[in-house]
Amino acid sequence: MATVRVQNVSKWFPRRDGESLHVLQNIELDVPEKTIVAIVGESGSGKSTLLNIIAGLVKPDRGCVLLNGVKSSEFTDWRSMTYMFQDDRLLPWRTAAANVAFGLEAAHVSRAERKQRVAETLALVGLSDFADLYPHELSGGMRSRVALARSLVTRPTLLLMDEPFSKLDPTIRAQMHAEVLRIASLMAMTVIFVTHDPEEAVVLANKVVLLNPRPGRVRETRTIDLPYPRDPSAPEVNEQARALRRSL
Amino acid sequence: MPVAPPTPLAQERAETRTPTHLARERRLRLIAQRLALIVLLLIVWQVASLNAPAFVLPSPKRVWEAWSGLVVTANFWKDFGITFSRVFTGFAFAAVIGVLFGLLLGANEKLGEFFEPVLTIINTVSSTIWAIFALIWFGLSNWTTIFVVFMTAMPLILTNVWQGTRSVNVDFIELAQTFRMSRLQVMQKIYLPTILPPFFSAARLAFGFGARVSLVAETLGASSGIGYRLRQAADLVQTDQVFAWTLTLVALMIALEALILKPIENRLFSWKKRAGDQ
Repeated sequence: MATVRVQNVSKWFPRRDGESLHVLQNIELDVPEKTIVAIVGESGSGKSTLLNIIAGLVKPDRGCVLLNGVKSSEFTDWRSMTYMFQDDRLLPWRTAAANVAFGLEAAHVSRAERKQRVAETLALVGLSDFADLYPHELSGGMRSRVALARSLVTRPTLLLMDEPFSKLDPTIRAQMHAEVLRIASLMAMTVIFVTHDPEEAVVLANKVVLLNPRPGRVRETRTIDLPYPRDPSAPEVNEQARALRRSL
Repeated sequence: MPVAPPTPLAQERAETRTPTHLARERRLRLIAQRLALIVLLLIVWQVASLNAPAFVLPSPKRVWEAWSGLVVTANFWKDFGITFSRVFTGFAFAAVIGVLFGLLLGANEKLGEFFEPVLTIINTVSSTIWAIFALIWFGLSNWTTIFVVFMTAMPLILTNVWQGTRSVNVDFIELAQTFRMSRLQVMQKIYLPTILPPFFSAARLAFGFGARVSLVAETLGASSGIGYRLRQAADLVQTDQVFAWTLTLVALMIALEALILKPIENRLFSWKKRAGDQ
């Protein structure tokens, strides 16, 4: 299980001219267990910074983040969450299987168990037959699946994604969306992801948080009540996406 | 009689066989070319030697005889061993120090900026000058040659490792951080694999340079080793022996490259995208 609460978080970044840039202002966010939350905003709204603060990679200047009710400064179970980047970041010198294993290498998992879990996770994303290929031998979609598998191999309860799959072409992207939804429900994960694409937010999320830019503030939070799977070309999905785009 | 179209299976088999077939053909052609080149060079050498006295250009036959005479002596192998142990020692020092300092300078930008000119200075000094310094400092000892090899090989390795650390992909370090990897793990899993290719190509180059300058050092400041024997043979106008030593060296370096270094490189870097892949 995983819950996230962002309480009154503010963040400033130092600028080169000595001034500081106000990136986030009094952010409040409540993510119950097993929800899929989209953080939507234009560039400069601090959405990636917010995700990095939740991930514990960046410290907030004010406020705090509660992970499973524990302040992130006192939180220790970091391996229960994983972070997916915009690009796949596969290590070119490792095979697909070895790239997936990378996720487990920081955790102290025995070699035998590691091998078994890598095989399991590759099967989960449908890449069992490609375990021994190097990244340059894989297609863009397959590479994304490997990156997803690397994030899942630690069996996280919280999955954070920063504009995932945004570099893929639309068909493959839609496939990856379906994969994430299937796996998130299978593994009972809580998912928080950042996107600038309203359609992606509506297809994936139960809850959408809209950020205003400079400094990033929560403008509104909406619930998306449509049943899964959501067809991106369905009128109700389109309508919600349009409404979201209008408020951006 | 009409020819039946090939079955899909047969077609597929023919296609999958083609690349290996082509590769074998290419390799055979390469071997034939090399052999033809050797024969051509031997003919040119033979013809040229007909019009020159033996102390200027000995004939291939004469060199062959000199070589066969040399190979059976114990000293030949002893001198070879001495020279190569000096080269290996100098190279080993260069590799260890080059890698350590390359990593250090790469990890600390300010330190790198401060020490960069030292490399330029070392690189501009000719090996012969190092040999003279070495002679002054170490006299007629193994260390003269080792020092010259070291001074030639070390900057090459250091520079490449240093550049290698600079080329480490920050994205990969970030990735390791999201998995909460320790500093040591980042070194081992991200830095090391990134540095390995530039280190290896530098090491190959450095070893070649080292082996060549070791002879310069030995002709100036040693009483044993191939360089010393070369000078001795030249002093006694035994040109056929000079040729015999030289050809042995060339053969040895080529063998080292083809039988040891190339296979290691292929094995280590099999993950790299090969030219000609889609």
